[in-house]
Amino acid sequence: MSSDQATQLAALTRPDPLQEATHPSAVGANPASVVRRLTGRKARRSGALWGLVFGIYVVSQVQAYISAYKTQGQRDALSKSFTSAGGLNALVGPAHELNTVAGYTEWKSVGILTVLGAVWALLLSTKLLRGEEDGGRWELLLAGHTTRRGAAVQAMSGLGEGLLALFVITAAATMAIGHLSTVRFAPAASVFFALTVVSGAALFLAAGALMSQLAASRRQAAAYGGGMLGLFFALRMLADANSGLSWLHWTTPFGWIEQLQPFTNAQPELLAPVVSLTAVMVVATVYFAGQRDLNASTLPDRSSSRAHNTLMSGNAGLTARLIRPTIIGWLGGVCAFGLLLGGSAKEAAQSLQSSPRVEETLRRLDGGGGEVKAYLGFSFLIITLLVALIAAGQVTAARREEATGRLDHLLVRPLSRRRWLLTRLGVAAAAIVVAGALGGVSAWLGVASQHVTISFSNLLGAGVNTMPAALFLLGVGALVWSITPRLASAAVYGILAWSFLVELLGGIVNSSHWLLDTSILHQLTPAPAVAPDWSTNVVMIVIGTVGTIAATLFFGRRDLAAE
Amino acid sequence: MAKRMQRSVRLSPVLAARPSASSLEPSAIRTKGLTKRYGKTDALASLDLEVPRGEVLGYLGPNGAGKTTTIRLLLGLIRPSAGSAEIFGLDAQRQTVRAHRRLAYVPGEANLWPSLTGAETLHLLGQVQGQVDAAYREVLVKRFDLDPSKRVRAYSKGNRQKLILIAGLMARADLLVLDEPTSGLDPLMEQAFRHSVFEAKERGQTVFLSSHILSEVEALCDRVAILRNGVLVDVGTLSQMRHLSSLTVEATFEGSVPDLTRVPGVTAIGVDGHVVRCQVQGSVEPLLKVLATSGVHELLSREPSLEEIFLAHYGADSPKSGVDTADVV
Repeated sequence: MSSDQATQLAALTRPDPLQEATHPSAVGANPASVVRRLTGRKARRSGALWGLVFGIYVVSQVQAYISAYKTQGQRDALSKSFTSAGGLNALVGPAHELNTVAGYTEWKSVGILTVLGAVWALLLSTKLLRGEEDGGRWELLLAGHTTRRGAAVQAMSGLGEGLLALFVITAAATMAIGHLSTVRFAPAASVFFALTVVSGAALFLAAGALMSQLAASRRQAAAYGGGMLGLFFALRMLADANSGLSWLHWTTPFGWIEQLQPFTNAQPELLAPVVSLTAVMVVATVYFAGQRDLNASTLPDRSSSRAHNTLMSGNAGLTARLIRPTIIGWLGGVCAFGLLLGGSAKEAAQSLQSSPRVEETLRRLDGGGGEVKAYLGFSFLIITLLVALIAAGQVTAARREEATGRLDHLLVRPLSRRRWLLTRLGVAAAAIVVAGALGGVSAWLGVASQHVTISFSNLLGAGVNTMPAALFLLGVGALVWSITPRLASAAVYGILAWSFLVELLGGIVNSSHWLLDTSILHQLTPAPAVAPDWSTNVVMIVIGTVGTIAATLFFGRRDLAAE
Repeated sequence: MAKRMQRSVRLSPVLAARPSASSLEPSAIRTKGLTKRYGKTDALASLDLEVPRGEVLGYLGPNGAGKTTTIRLLLGLIRPSAGSAEIFGLDAQRQTVRAHRRLAYVPGEANLWPSLTGAETLHLLGQVQGQVDAAYREVLVKRFDLDPSKRVRAYSKGNRQKLILIAGLMARADLLVLDEPTSGLDPLMEQAFRHSVFEAKERGQTVFLSSHILSEVEALCDRVAILRNGVLVDVGTLSQMRHLSSLTVEATFEGSVPDLTRVPGVTAIGVDGHVVRCQVQGSVEPLLKVLATSGVHELLSREPSLEEIFLAHYGADSPKSGVDTADVV
């Protein structure tokens, strides 16, 4: 054998340097806590963001009360006028000690923030548990140093970190505003107040995690959790609207939380049922996580079905079929809110007259229909926000179709990008129009039930008046998506959050009209208090339409960006 | 044609027997200087490729070579940085919808709408395609053993792939663009897929098959194109490639193995006791002269497999290149 061949043989028998390098070395972090760290990172970020929203909301309510009711006499008048506000009680819960900053802040914050926190928690936990599982990422984590139950425990710990972020920021904001000499919240009371408003979030983090074990998909888990939330809220509403049904408070966590009364009559012992139910759901989550197969449901799932091809005739039908559950949910929400708003408007408007500032504003807005009309003019902002959220959701849904690669299946067939996008946005616009109209009609039904005379056309006009902001957002959001698809969700929700913030704070501090004009919600007149400004509305719709047309042009000129 | 888009057309067996396109039509696929850059990286560099009608072309390359980029450019899903692509003479970017009437695409990853059933998905995609051979669809459903009443979210990865395969094949399109279509399929279904491609070939359909399964390409394709780092490095029939490629020689000696390192054209020498394996590029005469004087006991030679041809094109990047091809394989 030659020396060259010997060299080659030696090379073959020599240990491969690549194989030598295959001995794994320990990495810094504990591999057994990967799921907790991953879930915790996302949950902390989201919790901190919503903590800021909660904090700003609490601060804005305190500031609003201080500036609207300057004297004790005005505050006492407000308190007296609310003794029989049944409709408003149903909406946000009963008021206690409204002649104090603490009482007003508690009344305006606990009911609303508890529900908002519950919705946040439900969406977050189903996304981080079942959403990750649906996406196939969960099984990669389960192949590591953990078990199905271990991973569930870790994920719950991660969600706990998000809850902690929400609590800390809310408590800090409450303590900061409570430190003012005109407010004077005790630090312990501020902490208990923050604990109260995040307790709904804690409960629904656990509920979302449990539904993620029971349901067959994230969407189903969110729907089950949403049904649970709706039922609990409805029971609380019934309990607050009718004194004969007050025992219903004990059947719903929202009733338990409402009775904590952190500022007016603190009852910390009533946290026990909230904590107990949360603990039961956490334990059930861990139990079912170990009992079921990965990607399977605990509850029986209809994995087979007869084909329903009625809507499956093409792109428009598919869009309608895909968004149907979401849109039905939103339309239901708009209707329910419209009914409540209309039903409680008479009492709310009467009570608000105790503030000279509010009374002056109501008088200025009053176009002849009285204070109820003026109050509705203010309150339709929430319906406008709900309708605009439909637009934001549809822009995000379009992005999701592209990111998941599902859009590829349609666009590799004889369907142009322009036609797909216009159809998709057209269906979304139709949903917005229906939602706006339903908001007006349901508010009219609520008002009519209280024997207040406001014409149907007046309130329908107010409903129609909510649409331009949503159509503007839909067009502008589509334009952003067509240019930089990854920024689309952040852009639409950012525009909405900014607009709502400007509206919220603009009424408290004397903001410049330049700042106020950056809010899309500020462009709309407060109908039905005053007639809709149709010329402004048309401008907004035209901008939305131009955005849509530009979006079709830009979308046709860029690469599809799947993830 | 617009009406055709909106409704499902059941092709009769007679009409469906051959593609309707005239034989005078241009090539199924033609690219000229097709280039796609992401920043400073050339995902695809000046691709010139022509696929005649009725041909089955295997499109090979390692991960990241630019295969999927090529397919997405052909489908008009991404825009070229330079050059052009035509499908049956139609510009893939400007006449996308018309081009798509002539093709069907099967991706390697079937991400479908989870709430729809298999039957609903097939119905929907058929409606959007505008052309479905309903009888053939039923044949395919049976062939691939798919339960279409199940919801997509209840399907395994393999079953989702079957569904998207059926959706692509049922259109009987003139051109099938298949991007690793058998990923996740078991060997039985892989056979069913091959059967379907043979059927398509018999009907005169053109098939553009990107695959990592070399045996599949070897069995199905008329020609093979090999892509490396975004550059087309070879294209031709297997016999053309074999002719230009190295011959594998294995010789067993009675005594010690002679030194073959200085023999012209001989590479990838591997020695195992009295047996030597090597590759011969060009004439085998110099090697035979050395072997004849070295007491060779047994001599085997064979043409390279597609796998060896494929690996030879990437051998320069392999750490074991030039030592022993068998080991690399």
